[in-house]
Amino acid sequence: MQEFDVLVIGGGASGLRAAIAAKHAGAKVALITKIHPLRTNSGLAQGGLNAPLGKGDSPESFAEDTLLAGDGLCDRDVVRTFAAEASKEIIWLERMGVPFNRNGEGRIDLRPFGSNSKSRTCYTDDRTGHIVLQVLHEQAQRAEIPSLEEWFVTSLVADGNSCAGAIALSLRSGKLDSFSARAVILATGGFTRLYLPSTVSLGTTGDGQSLAYSAGARLMDMEMTQFHPTVFPRNPALLITEAALSEGAVMVNQKGEPIRLAKGLSREKICLSIHNAMQNGGGSVSLDLRPIGKDKLLSRFPQTHELVRGLAGLDITKEPIPIRPVAHRSVGGIETNATGETSLPGLFAVGECACNGLNGAGRLAGNTLTEAVVFGRKVGDAAAKYAKTASKKSFPSAKLSDEEKAITALVSGSSSGGDSSGKIHADLGRLMSEKVGLIREQAGLQEALDRIHRLKQRYRALRVRNTSRIYNYELTTYLELGSMLTLAEIVAQAALGRTESRGAHQRADFPQKDDRNWRNHTLVSLVQEEPRWDQKPVAG
Amino acid sequence: MEVTFKVYRKDPEKDGKPGRSNYTIDIPEDATVLDGLLKIRDEIDSTLAFRASCLRGYCGDCLVRVSGRARLSCVAKVTAFTQKAPEISLDPLRIVPVIKDLVFDWDAFMWNKIRAVQPWLEPKEPASDGENLIPDAAMKDLRKVMSCYYCGMCDEGCTVLPVDFNFLGPAALTKAYRFAFDPRGKETRERLKILEEPKGIWDCVHCYEADEHCPRGIEPTKRIIALRDLAFKLGITNEKVARHHKSFAASVKESGWLDEGRLAIESEGLTNIKGLMKLLPIAARAMARGKAPIPYLHPKRPGADKIKKIFEKGEQETK
Repeated sequence: MQEFDVLVIGGGASGLRAAIAAKHAGAKVALITKIHPLRTNSGLAQGGLNAPLGKGDSPESFAEDTLLAGDGLCDRDVVRTFAAEASKEIIWLERMGVPFNRNGEGRIDLRPFGSNSKSRTCYTDDRTGHIVLQVLHEQAQRAEIPSLEEWFVTSLVADGNSCAGAIALSLRSGKLDSFSARAVILATGGFTRLYLPSTVSLGTTGDGQSLAYSAGARLMDMEMTQFHPTVFPRNPALLITEAALSEGAVMVNQKGEPIRLAKGLSREKICLSIHNAMQNGGGSVSLDLRPIGKDKLLSRFPQTHELVRGLAGLDITKEPIPIRPVAHRSVGGIETNATGETSLPGLFAVGECACNGLNGAGRLAGNTLTEAVVFGRKVGDAAAKYAKTASKKSFPSAKLSDEEKAITALVSGSSSGGDSSGKIHADLGRLMSEKVGLIREQAGLQEALDRIHRLKQRYRALRVRNTSRIYNYELTTYLELGSMLTLAEIVAQAALGRTESRGAHQRADFPQKDDRNWRNHTLVSLVQEEPRWDQKPVAG
Repeated sequence: MEVTFKVYRKDPEKDGKPGRSNYTIDIPEDATVLDGLLKIRDEIDSTLAFRASCLRGYCGDCLVRVSGRARLSCVAKVTAFTQKAPEISLDPLRIVPVIKDLVFDWDAFMWNKIRAVQPWLEPKEPASDGENLIPDAAMKDLRKVMSCYYCGMCDEGCTVLPVDFNFLGPAALTKAYRFAFDPRGKETRERLKILEEPKGIWDCVHCYEADEHCPRGIEPTKRIIALRDLAFKLGITNEKVARHHKSFAASVKESGWLDEGRLAIESEGLTNIKGLMKLLPIAARAMARGKAPIPYLHPKRPGADKIKKIFEKGEQETK
């Protein structure tokens, strides 16, 4: 067993920032991650990260835009804190080496982006996530934080009513080990792989939300999943940054007529415009990037140019690209306060796996990476402080042998009648996109719940055929699917419960926002093996 | 379309000997190699081990050799390799320690080497509260280098690594460039001292294969040469190859042609008694055949003054 003050689970931007902060606060920290940090989903972020650095901008204006995008479900205090601390954190990233694009004065250039009312999005071409992630990884190495890579966390361990650590499987050695920690930070990212197609990486399967839920922590607003409007819809889908729209790209319908959009529309509204255009005209919608101009396309969108050409066989400088809204980011997640504390003492969560009230019902474009670094630092600090005062927890040693038995029981080697994790996941992904997607309604959600139950039955009958322990991806894929099925049921149930339309949650049968009844968060936790549903009013 | 995937296999829990499995699968025309691999693992052989993450060419995790060529399996279309026959072969990289099937040891191949160059910025004390004021041109070069997605194709193409696996390699040295040329960092000299150690910048043979292999056009060889130039500029020239370069240039500058005896001695180092002793038998044999030039007794060639002027002009320009 290895012992730490703070164990950070997840090697993306939030996890790295939290680990650096906890280490600077004097804690003994380790990072544990199922893939190498530089291969995580944070690297897929393109457009940029927001900070109110511009002349004429202010934290108040930034907060206002964030609140508008959140459509009445944001926690105002969390939003204000976030907006007030964003600039400091971006400056920190700049000093640590992010080569932000500059304006003529040599200051960080700010691009217009999404429904931000001011130009406040800092960027590095169209590779912002990839480059910010590198700098955070560099600084984590500078801080000498041990990084346990290709370790798959199989469960959280509780000592009475608080989190005492985790058990994880080393992909490389095939062995389980236990990690005792005074504080555990989940930074495992979103769960958008519930949907197929989606814009995320293979491992974005909601492991952290599922681990927290199984350990008894509450999840919040799980019905909120943001779709991204400008995505080339192959599987896996290829996202074209929304910055293209701000910089002059236009959307056109099948006849080539422009689809007019009011300025500063939220992602949700743009998605609905595309959806309506596809419904009404019965045809496809394309994104024409040519108005941006060839030179600017090649210099500001080099990655988009390269990948669209490689995967779609289309040239953004020469022709319009077919697009449609595709599932993009989880907005709901593990309920936390502003410093990442979950409902389970000793367990913290940050970034996309967490739901701290910042994003409400919809996330402002460009806020994701800023959220990762602002709250990464705050939560890392808070966890280190907690670890200093928390008494040493006893790690129930029987847990490791229990887990060993459970894994051995799964890996039976026997055939399962032609069914597989991949087939169940394909059915789940299609079902979620069709029935729990951009537009939902009661009958479809009920049908989805029924079918999710049947998928769960298939899952329970499934066994892992590969008996090897070393790099057994059948086993990890199976465990990820288990998380996804748990969350799929919660998402569909939460969507059925919210009888209104707000932000990322749009109900065909309840098209209006209902502030009288629904300025509430949806909460769910596992109590005696059953989900317990609850609500809490929006703070502030 | 039906395609046969001929996949390299190795199982560390069995005899560990390499073999090959053939899988014939039905995949769509526009399928990527990764689409095929995922289908095989899910439907035919769940023991097949390979890595993948971003699925769309952002991250570099899924690097394999497809019919001999290093490719990211997530963006490589199967049809690009099936013109002659409906089959492709899949192998790990040529020079990496393989753990299982297509899963190889990234730590040994690249991450440990990157770690060895102290891959982080030691930021200077800030001049003000805000961001550093820097022209975009300086940042643009760094953005280009940082578009690297650590796929390792430059290391796969490198001609030194198959001979000496301990060479840091173009990926790690390109990472070092990113810090050495960042105007916001403070300790370039210390890092260059690490890089000039054996297995560092002077072990590159500038064959330019890394530049040919880099899918992002980062030109790692150019970065390594820039690091060498910087090392010279800062007077960090203790390594043998650096002394060789220095002596070569000095002798041509002074006499218009190469003083081979002097080059041999100065490359070893004037205080390197052990190294100089090693030269003695060679010198003796050469002398016996009348081929050993006497070091430093080296007449000027006609036109040497003009050559000297070219050197001086060049030195002026680089200042």
